[in-house]
Amino acid sequence: MEGIVLALFVCLVLAIITKYLSIPPIPFYIIGGVLLGKSGFALVTSDEISRFFSQMGLIFLLFFMGLELKLERIASNRSAVLTSGVIDLNVNMLIGFVAAYMFGFSIIESLVIASAFYISSTAMAITSLIENRKLMMREAETVIWLMVFEDLVLIIFLAVISAGGQNPLIFLLKIAGVLAILYAIAHYGKEFLISLLDRSDELPILFTFGAVLTTASVSMYLGVPETMMVIALGAALATTDPDAFEQHARPFKDVFLVVFFVFFGITINLAGGVNVVMILSISLLAVVSKFISGLLTGIFIHESALAGIEIWGNTIGRGEFSIALAALYGSPIIATIIAAMVIVTSLVGAFTGKYCTGLRKWMAMPGRRAPHHPHTGR
Amino acid sequence: MTLRSVNLPGVGTKYEFETDKGDTVAIFFTKTGTIQMYTLQQGCRTPSAAEMTPMEARRLGNILTGAIIEAESESVEIAFSALADLRITIHTYLIQKAIAGKTIEDLQIRTKTGVTVIAVSRKDTNIINPPPSFVFETGDAVVVIGETDQLKRFEREVMVD
Repeated sequence: MEGIVLALFVCLVLAIITKYLSIPPIPFYIIGGVLLGKSGFALVTSDEISRFFSQMGLIFLLFFMGLELKLERIASNRSAVLTSGVIDLNVNMLIGFVAAYMFGFSIIESLVIASAFYISSTAMAITSLIENRKLMMREAETVIWLMVFEDLVLIIFLAVISAGGQNPLIFLLKIAGVLAILYAIAHYGKEFLISLLDRSDELPILFTFGAVLTTASVSMYLGVPETMMVIALGAALATTDPDAFEQHARPFKDVFLVVFFVFFGITINLAGGVNVVMILSISLLAVVSKFISGLLTGIFIHESALAGIEIWGNTIGRGEFSIALAALYGSPIIATIIAAMVIVTSLVGAFTGKYCTGLRKWMAMPGRRAPHHPHTGR
Repeated sequence: MTLRSVNLPGVGTKYEFETDKGDTVAIFFTKTGTIQMYTLQQGCRTPSAAEMTPMEARRLGNILTGAIIEAESESVEIAFSALADLRITIHTYLIQKAIAGKTIEDLQIRTKTGVTVIAVSRKDTNIINPPPSFVFETGDAVVVIGETDQLKRFEREVMVD
């Protein structure tokens, strides 16, 4: 128990410093965890309680993702979302997979690395757009929809990978059954849920916490992946009053997710030795591959490679979802690689988020040949 | 001028419109609670931005709708056109050191000037309809109601003690 308190205190100090410097806190939570854990000063070890807290962090992160998931809005924006999303998916998954495979990982391991390599941090991208005052740029909307698409891919990935080993038909039936129940509750209980959330006593927050926990434990009991189910719960409840649920779930997410990050760092084991070359090259490749997908997206969506620099600058940071994948499916070596990649890309991303607009202007200056001139075809 | 509003997942709500002269104004209500306003001049590539707290945004809104007359302390004039064009002004003032420690009664605010103190905002609490025995402190924001002439008298005789 003292361990969690110490870890949380370190995170609090880190949060204050990073907010003050306006840089993403996630890499520092992980570094803080590594220093506290068995690879550092061995001050904190994970125990039953910390594992429960970390699990909560992951579950609430995914519940939030579900709340934000509004399928009808994606459908109304289909063509732009699809084009940029498919480019991003293909380029980064492919580069990540090939790199991991060439370093000698198995196909499944490479797939896990490639997914963590592919998925940018939604939190970092959106914070970067807001803090660097870029919301009005045309590229900002592309970046936002790109994040939505990546979330969808993550859900499909979670479904596919957690089905492994089970009879696919029974698995699908189980999922469909739980989904139907969740949506039925949200649909027929809508009035009741909204009146419940309107109360000013402890009921709304108790209900939100209870609903998430119940869904997670029931799905564990049924042998359905709880990750999928809390996302589905979020999506189902989003049809009632998503803002109220976000407001009530936010405190749980904020605290437990920090525990999740710091204990992810604490459990990282560097004792087996690390291949620095491999870790660094995958991290750098993660920056380069988003550059390639950014340029292509810029050319296809905005008819300008320079627009791609803006997309690149705000989507470099990998974060919460990469760590989640590592925690769920990664071996210790994979966890170390992904942790390093998150640290490198999020720090580079914080920098490029601030300065890529300047870089873009400099590249567009007259007398300088830009790598691609914007197409002027009308 | 057409107003376009979009809900951006994870970010918040965006309102955008183009003026008749071709300039663009965009407002974002972000989930973090701040409001960002961007203006883009016609023919210009990079917008300029301002970030506001909800309070600041409301102030800006008041200025744009024409409710605020003076810049320093706020004042709103309400006109009831059905009641023989009755005009009442509500004005806020900050209490200075000179009258701190005195009560409304001591200052004879109503008899001397005709205005009424209807509310006092002290730090984070608001006192509505303070009694005559209410003691002012430095930094209190008082809300005063009256006619324009009465308010001028209040400024001359009470505030500059």
